[in-house]
Order: sequence, then C-alpha cells, then structure tokens
Amino acid sequence: MTLSLVLQAVFAGVTNGIVYALVGMGLSAIFKGSRVINAMQGEFAVIGAMTTVLLLTKSGWPYPAAIAGGALAGALVGAFIEIAFVRYMAGKKASEDSFLLLTIGLALTLSASVLFFIGRDGHLLPPIGGEGVLIVLDAVIQFHALWLIAIGIGATLLLRAFFHRTTLGLSMMAASIDPDGAATTGINVARMRTFTFVLGGLLGALGGILVTPLIAVDYTLGLNLTLKGFAAAVLGGLTNPLGAAVGGVTLGLVESLAIIGISSSYKDVVAFTVLIVIMILMPQGILGRAGRRGG
Amino acid sequence: MTSRLLWIVAALVIWAALPFFVPRNIADLLVFTGIYTIAGLGIGLLLGHCGIVNLAQATFYGLGAYSSAYCTVMLGLPSIAGFVVGAVISMALAYLIGRPILRLTGYFLALATLALGAIASALFFEWDWLTGGTLGIGGIPKLDLFGFVLDRPSRYYFFVWIVAFTCMAVAHNLVGSRTGLMLRSMRDSSTAAASLSVDLQALRTQVFVVCALFGSLAGSLFAHHASFVSTQSFTVDRSISFLLIPVIGGATSIPGIVAGALFVTFLPELLSKLGDIHQILFGLALVGVVVLLPDGLMGAYGRLQRRLAPRRSGHDH
Repeated sequence: MTLSLVLQAVFAGVTNGIVYALVGMGLSAIFKGSRVINAMQGEFAVIGAMTTVLLLTKSGWPYPAAIAGGALAGALVGAFIEIAFVRYMAGKKASEDSFLLLTIGLALTLSASVLFFIGRDGHLLPPIGGEGVLIVLDAVIQFHALWLIAIGIGATLLLRAFFHRTTLGLSMMAASIDPDGAATTGINVARMRTFTFVLGGLLGALGGILVTPLIAVDYTLGLNLTLKGFAAAVLGGLTNPLGAAVGGVTLGLVESLAIIGISSSYKDVVAFTVLIVIMILMPQGILGRAGRRGG
Repeated sequence: MTSRLLWIVAALVIWAALPFFVPRNIADLLVFTGIYTIAGLGIGLLLGHCGIVNLAQATFYGLGAYSSAYCTVMLGLPSIAGFVVGAVISMALAYLIGRPILRLTGYFLALATLALGAIASALFFEWDWLTGGTLGIGGIPKLDLFGFVLDRPSRYYFFVWIVAFTCMAVAHNLVGSRTGLMLRSMRDSSTAAASLSVDLQALRTQVFVVCALFGSLAGSLFAHHASFVSTQSFTVDRSISFLLIPVIGGATSIPGIVAGALFVTFLPELLSKLGDIHQILFGLALVGVVVLLPDGLMGAYGRLQRRLAPRRSGHDH
C-alpha cells in the first residue's frame, strides 16, 4: 500500500462523501422539519441530474443555466410532494410507517418514470472546470472533484448560515422543534414543512448534478443514493443536517479506504455494515448528543 | 360463526377448482401468489404484531432459493435437503443478526433491514462460485412427491398452496397463543409489557426467525418452480414488493395477506398489457393504497362491512 494509493483513496472518499453528504443533508432537513424519512431522497438526485442532462443536450441551454434548472426541478418536485401527499397524510395523523411506504411508492414511481420516458441508458454530464487533472504525489485528482468538494463545503456553510441567521431558517427550525409554540408566534407551520421539502429536493438535486460527471445517472441510481444518504444522516445523528455532512464524508472515507485492502466490489457491503454497526453502537450518531443539538 | 364456516368452505371449493378452469399463465401466477403469500405472512407477523418494517425478506428468500439450487444441481442431493439447509441457514442468520439489530426501533430498524438486504444482494452477486452470479444456476429439478412429478403449474399449485395453508395455520396459532398475547401487549405498550417481565427482544427475535423461515421456504418453492435462479430475483426491489403484501392487504389479517399477494402478482401482469408504462402505474397504485387506504384492503373491507352492518345487526344478536 503506497502513499499515493492512500492519497488517491482519500480523495475519492471525500468526493463521494460530499455527494452522500448533500443527499443526507436533504434527508435530514426533511426529517427534522416533518418527521418523515424520505425514501425517495435519492430520486431527487436523479431528477436534478436528468433534468440538467436534458436541458443541456436536448434544449441546448448553457451549462450553468442547465445546472440551475436541474436544481430548481428538484426543489419543485419536493414542494409538489409535500403539498400533494404529505400534507394530506399529516392531516390524517398517518403513522411513521405510512410515510415511509408513501415515499417508497413515490421512489418506485419516479424510477419507473425515468425508465419509461428516458430509457435504460446512463447519462454523463461534462465535468465542471474542464477535463484537467491535478497530480499530487502520483495521485490523479480531477479538477471536477476539486469543484465538487468546494461546492459541497460552500453549500454546507450556506445551509448553516441559513438555519442560524435568516428569519426563514429560524422559523423552519422553530416549526420543527415545537410546532404549537411556533404557530402561536405566527409561523405558518404547514408552509415551513413545504419549505423543508423544497430544501431537501434542492440539496438532493445538487448532489445528483455534482456526481453525474463521475458516475452515469440512470433510473437505478436513486435507491443507492437514498441508502448512502440515509447512512450519512444517521451517522450525523439524523436530526442535524450539518451532522449529515460529517457523516457523509466519514462514510465516503471508510468506503474508499476499506477497498484498498479488499475488492472494490465490496464497497457497498462495507458502507452498509458500517451503517448497521454505528446505528447499534452509537444511536446518537458519531457526533453524540452535542451534535444533535446544533444545526 | 356458521356464515364464516360457509365462507371458508366456499373459498376452499373455489381454490380447489381454480387450476382446472384457468389458462396456464394464470395458474402460473396463482403459484406465485402462493409463494408470495408465504413470504408475506412472515412480514405481516412482524409488521402487524411487532410494528417492525422488514425490508430484508429477499435475503431469506434468496437463501432458500440458492440452497435448493445448490443442493440439487451442484451436490445432487434430494430436494428436501435444499429446503432444510435453506431453512436452517436462514433461521440461524436471522437469530444472529436479529439479536443485535432488533434493539433498534422505528425507522432505524427499517433501514437496518434495508441495509441488510442491500448487503446480501451484493454478496449474492459477488459470490458467484456459490450463486452463479448474474448467470445464475439453471436446471433445478421439478419437485416430485413419491414419484408424482409436479411439473405443471396446475400440479405445483396444490403443493405450494398446501404449504401456504400450513404456514397460515402456524401464523394463526402463533398469534392466538401466549406468545401472540405478549406480542400484542408489546406492540401496544412496550413499557407495560416489559414491566410484566415480557422479554421484548427475545420475542421480537423469535418472530424475526419465523419470518426468515417463511422467506426461505418461499425461496425454495420458487427455485423449484422457476428451475432457474439468479441475482436479479433477490434484490432490494423484491424485498419492497414483499413488504407491500401486508401493507396493501392489511398486516394483521391472514386473508389480507392473500389479498396483498394477489395484488402484487396480478396487478403488474394486468398492467403490463398496457405496455411499458405499467411500472409507473404500479408505483402510483401503491401510493394510492397508502394514501387512501391506510389500513389496507382488509381494513377498507372491514369499514365497508361496519357501515352496512346496522341494518342486519338486530337479527344477528
């Protein structure tokens, strides 16, 4: 095991980890705001990436506009799902399980829609920042990976500022921590829940768009990203979107360092085993109780 | 009570006559309904009586199917060996994994089982010396009972459904027994149950093991029916469709499980006549059931019955 191999693995781990983090942050934001585990979070990534691909190749939009379009599509689908389904079911006091099954059903529907309307083929986006690579100690790092890491960190910091500094972010937090108290101070709790789904959709779509230059997006990508995003969110303590960022990078690193030793096809096996073990041994997530309070 | 007996007799007569009147492809689907009923019964027990969402049933289904395939094709053992090996491995695995993960609750447990299913599906794919990978294992013999070969769907139908009825009886007795009472107390108030010295974890593990046993049996039956098994049959998607069986039908009702199994076997087949769009429609149907019928088809039927009941209640009581 050489140093450059380790460095390569660390970089790959951080790159994947940021994608898991973005999906996980969206999942965690939705859970925090609505107590719904969104089993279609990975589908937001597929929606974002596919929309960007279509805008870029079929409609000929410039790349930045296509990315914005893809992210917007994720946000809109998020809003639609809250307004069309979650609101109605929350009004009927549906159980945890029903919400889980609802989102599983939506995930099946969306993945089947992608298969039906777009087809089986995987699609790639051009790398952000061009095809260039950076070589550090024989480890090859794509410029795109650097952009991905920068955008991921930027999004995490923005999210933090949003929850701590803006009125809307603070209202969303208030509505999720104490809905009745928030309502008496004039916060529209139902609308805040819609916003958490918008935020979840946006973050998921962003994760999908950023990963698509590295992994081809197709109709099966969603489930895998949902699982990885959930693992990230659980590692971070589930109710803390910023914890999910730490969780995602940890997961990515564990995965990519583990496969230096064993065959790369066991990547998912390692990731999911870590998820199960952490859930059993550290139910509060790797940040513990302190991590749960923040964010 | 007599009307209930009449219903059961009528259902049995229809059940026995059915394979002689329907075309081969329908008989084939009815065999699958039986297999799915067995797998779904276990999930129904966990969901309806322990409040556990199990998304790993395809793992045990796969273990059963691969045990049957490997024992009969690779080792040349009699079919019964595959059933037994599959059941023993599944139950042992369910016990070993169940002890630690059943400490989790709610979403965490659901996702732990989902992760388990994803791990198993990756291992089925990687261990191609055992499972044949994507190429799978073919040439699994049809079952024969003392020289009577169950080589047609209409013959296999009776065998599968007799196994299914036996599993229903086991599930029914489990629910009606002392264990069932403890399960109900655990589901409704786990604190109260624990204070009455009900060992919650042992109980949950026990039901998980029964669920794995049913999953494995269903898998072995599937292997002998399809005579070919490959990784595509044991993915997380399959676990999801198994979970839908009790969700759609109603988890606490045994007829509900049959209804759910009919739904997940026949609806995709009916919808596939409409072309490739059928998967979208299936997803939408699921969303529709979850949103509109939160307690499943049997729950909706019960509500309908109650609404019609006042008219005749004067005569019944």
